[in-house]
Amino acid sequence: MASNAAVPFWRAAGMTYITYSNICAKHVRNCLKEPFKAEALNRENVHFSISKWVDGKAEKPILRSDTPGV
Amino acid sequence: MAMAVFRREGRRLLPSIAARPIAAIRSPLASEQEEGPLGVRSISTQVVRNRMKSVKNIQKITKAMKMVAASKLRAVQGRAENSRGLWQPFTALLGDNPSIDVKKSVVVTLSSDKGLCGGINSTVVKVSRALYKLNAGPEKEVKFVIVGEKAKAIMFRDSKNDIALSVTELNKNPLNYAQVSVLADDILKNVEFDALRIVYNKFHSVVAFLPTVATVLSPEVIEKESEIGGKLGELDSYEIEGGETKGEILQNLAEFQFSCVMFNAVLENACSEMGARMSAMDSSSRNAGEMLDRLTLTYNRTRQASITTELIEIISGASALEAAK
Repeated sequence: MASNAAVPFWRAAGMTYITYSNICAKHVRNCLKEPFKAEALNRENVHFSISKWVDGKAEKPILRSDTPGV
Repeated sequence: MAMAVFRREGRRLLPSIAARPIAAIRSPLASEQEEGPLGVRSISTQVVRNRMKSVKNIQKITKAMKMVAASKLRAVQGRAENSRGLWQPFTALLGDNPSIDVKKSVVVTLSSDKGLCGGINSTVVKVSRALYKLNAGPEKEVKFVIVGEKAKAIMFRDSKNDIALSVTELNKNPLNYAQVSVLADDILKNVEFDALRIVYNKFHSVVAFLPTVATVLSPEVIEKESEIGGKLGELDSYEIEGGETKGEILQNLAEFQFSCVMFNAVLENACSEMGARMSAMDSSSRNAGEMLDRLTLTYNRTRQASITTELIEIISGASALEAAK
């Protein structure tokens, strides 16, 4: 119920429900105890590259990755 | 890695095939005699031996790729089957409306980054094109969002003006929900849509993949549809807790539905890719085996023929000497 009051705020900040739920999930994962916490954090690695297309040409791809050094 | 080796091997093999079109198999005698240096009568088996060696190497590589695909498949199959529970409640609540008629459609085509996996990428592209034809029209707009290198390469040829976004390198780490949800978020923010149609290969078994379309509607369209009635009309019978309006709830639901459906679709597609690669590599190692058998037969025949020729020469030489005495 507590989250209901927050709805207009994260919407106003330009977040979608997906971002919001991901942030919540991240907080829950941070509450785990140690061996499980590292495991859960390692599992959720983001890595892909996305590029927008304008007039039939791909723009420079943007890399979304949490892997350091890539 | 294995694929790069395979490609290199293939390139090395191709010119040798092109230069001597199967002549090495069909009539080794004729072709070898033409090629051999003048005055040498014995038949060289070098060419056949070299081809045997390269075919054997290719077979080894395809076998290894099959093993790799099989072990990856086992890992991803369980996850794909578990992820089916994510979209099923959404379909129960909001229904799946592939036939809905809207102004702005976005076709999300899922394919693989790597090749050598049979026809799964061309089938999704075919289905996406069919969807494009079905939904395009005056005052109607269809855009493509392409995931994976392979579909991008095919779509680039004829519908590059309709591509809105392309995504690659999704399979670098093991697929997980966080990754797919960030991707879904990016797609939602970058394209305008009334309906998202996600095209992917649904995994049935190692040899059967169904090209599937999952439809995700925008909250406005859901609201409109539920007012008209029909399958979405039951939506009003649900009670909403808390202070949110129906519109807000629907928006949240639609966004979450998209990321869940995407997650399942990406997993199913990865699973189909591995299965397809497994069967493709299986048949190519079988073909390599057959080719090897044929080449071995040719090789042995040639060898025997050269031995016979030499024997005849010796015997006839000896008898000629005897007759001269």
